[in-house]
Amino acid sequence: MISMPEEKFIIRLFNVSKQYGKKEALKDLSLNIAENEFVFVTGPSGAGKSTMIKLLYRGETASSGDIIVDGLNLARISRKQIPALRRRLGVIFQDFKLIPTRTVYHNVSLVLEVAGRKPGEIRPLVMEALEYVGIDDRADELPPVLSGGEKQRVAVARAMVGAPRIVLADEPTGSLDPDSAARIFSLLEAVHRSGATVIVATHDQEMIRRHAVRVIRLENGRLVMPAQQDERLW
Amino acid sequence: MVIVAFRRAIKDIRDNKFLNVVSMITIALSVFIVSAFSFFFNNATNFLDAWQQGVRIIAYLADEVPEEDVPKSDVPEPDQSETAGPEMDRAGIREKILALEGVATVVFVSKADAYRDLQQKIGKQSSLLDGLDKNPLPDAFEITLDASFRNLDHIARLAGVIAQQPHVEEVEYAQKWLHRFSGIYNLFKITGLVLAGIFFIATFLIIANTIRLIMYSRREEIEIIRIIGADAEFIKYPLFIAGMAQGFFGSICGIGLLYAAFVLTIPGIPRDTVFALFEIRFISGMFAITMVLCSMLIGWVACVFSIRKFLKF
Repeated sequence: MISMPEEKFIIRLFNVSKQYGKKEALKDLSLNIAENEFVFVTGPSGAGKSTMIKLLYRGETASSGDIIVDGLNLARISRKQIPALRRRLGVIFQDFKLIPTRTVYHNVSLVLEVAGRKPGEIRPLVMEALEYVGIDDRADELPPVLSGGEKQRVAVARAMVGAPRIVLADEPTGSLDPDSAARIFSLLEAVHRSGATVIVATHDQEMIRRHAVRVIRLENGRLVMPAQQDERLW
Repeated sequence: MVIVAFRRAIKDIRDNKFLNVVSMITIALSVFIVSAFSFFFNNATNFLDAWQQGVRIIAYLADEVPEEDVPKSDVPEPDQSETAGPEMDRAGIREKILALEGVATVVFVSKADAYRDLQQKIGKQSSLLDGLDKNPLPDAFEITLDASFRNLDHIARLAGVIAQQPHVEEVEYAQKWLHRFSGIYNLFKITGLVLAGIFFIATFLIIANTIRLIMYSRREEIEIIRIIGADAEFIKYPLFIAGMAQGFFGSICGIGLLYAAFVLTIPGIPRDTVFALFEIRFISGMFAITMVLCSMLIGWVACVFSIRKFLKF
C-alpha cells in the first residue's frame, strides 16, 4: 500500500462493521476516498451500499470501526454535531425525499435556511441551482405534480445549493427512465467538476461502464477489490 | 433564525388549521370557565367586604338591667325589685363591651326608641302595633367595629364574647345569612380551584396532543429536514411558537368571551338590590395577563413534553 498524505482523503473507513440484529450488513470495511473524487459504490441488492451511505451521513451508527468524514470521526461526534456534519454534505435518494407540501423552491431553499443563511442571499442561490438543473420554470410547483426525473433534478439542486464538499447519492437513478438517469448522472458529473467529492451507490452497471471512475464493489457487506482499480486508495 | 421560525410556525398553523382551531377553542373554554370563577370570587369578595364595612352587632338585653348612666337612654327607670342580680348596670355592660378588642362604638337603643323606629318603618301598618299590651322589644346595644375587625371571623368571635356578657340575652349580626353566603362562597372557591386545575391539565394534554399530531403528520418532513442538516432548535422553535400561539389566542378568545358576556348581562342587573352595595367589576387586567401568560407557558411546556421523542438523532 502506498502511503498518501492524510489530508488528501476526505472520507476514511477503518474496519467498519454494521449489524442489524444478527444480520451483518457491513463487515470489516476499510477504504479511503480522496478529495474531489467521483466514486461508484456498487453491488447486488443487500450488499451494503445503502448502509454505507447511511453511515457516511450518520443516518446510522457503525457497530464497530471508525469513519472519518471531512475530518470528523463519526464514532465520536456528539448528537449536537450531527447537523453540522450533514450541512457539509449533499444527499440524494432514490425516493427523492422531497417535502410534498412545499414548493420546489422551498424544498431547495430549506437547505440554506437550515444553514442559517440570510433571507436576502437565499433566493439568488436557489434560483441559480434550479436553473442549473433546468427546473427553474417549475419553482412554484409542488413535488407531486413533477415527473420522477424532475423530482430527482430538484433533489440534485437541493444537494448542491449549499455548495457541499461531499455529495452522497443512494441509487439516484433507481426509479428513473434511461434518459432521465443519464441527465442526472451528467448533473452529478457537473457537481464533481465544481469541486465536490461525489459518491454514488448504484447497481446500474450500464452507467458504471460508461464512466471511467473508481468503483467500490460490495458483496454481502464485504469489499470486493476489482483488479483494475488503483490499489493506493484501498 | 427567529424570522424563519415564525414563518414556519405560521405555516404549521395554516397547514394544521383544524387541529389548531380545536386546540384554541378548548383553551378558550378553559380560560373562560376559570376566569368566570375568578370574576365570581372577586365580586363576591367585594360584596362581603362592602357588607362587612357596614356590619353591626346588636346585643339584646334582658328586661331587668338597671339604667344608671347609660347614654341616650330614655327608657323609664325599671323597678329595682324586679332586677335579677343587678350586680352590673347598663353603663357597666357598655363599658365592658367597649373595652373589648375591635369594638369601635357602643350605642344604647332603648326599647322605646326601637318601638318608635319600628312604627316609622312599617308606616301605614303601624296600627297593627296598637293591639299590643306592652312594648315587646328589648333594650339593646348597637355595636360597631374597628375597620380591621370587620371580617366574618372577628365578627363571629366578638359576637360570641358579647353574648357571654351579663344581661345580654341574644346577639345578632345576620349570622345565618352570612354563614350561608360564606359557605356558598367557599364551596365555589374550592370548586373553582379544582376546576381550574382540571382545565389546565386538560389544556396541557390537548396542546401536547395537537403538537404530537402535527409532529406525526410532519414526521417525513422532519426526517428530511434533519438529513439536510437541521438542528433540533430549527425543528423545535416553530413548534414552541405554535404551542404558545395556541395558548395566547385561545386565552384571548376566552377572556374576550367572558367580557362579551359581562358587557351584555351586567347593565341589566337592577341596582336597587344588594348589588347597590358594591360595583360589579370585570376580572383585573393583571389576572387577564396572568391567564394569557399561563396559557402560553402551558403551550410551551406541552410542546417540550410532546416533541422530545421525535427529536432524538
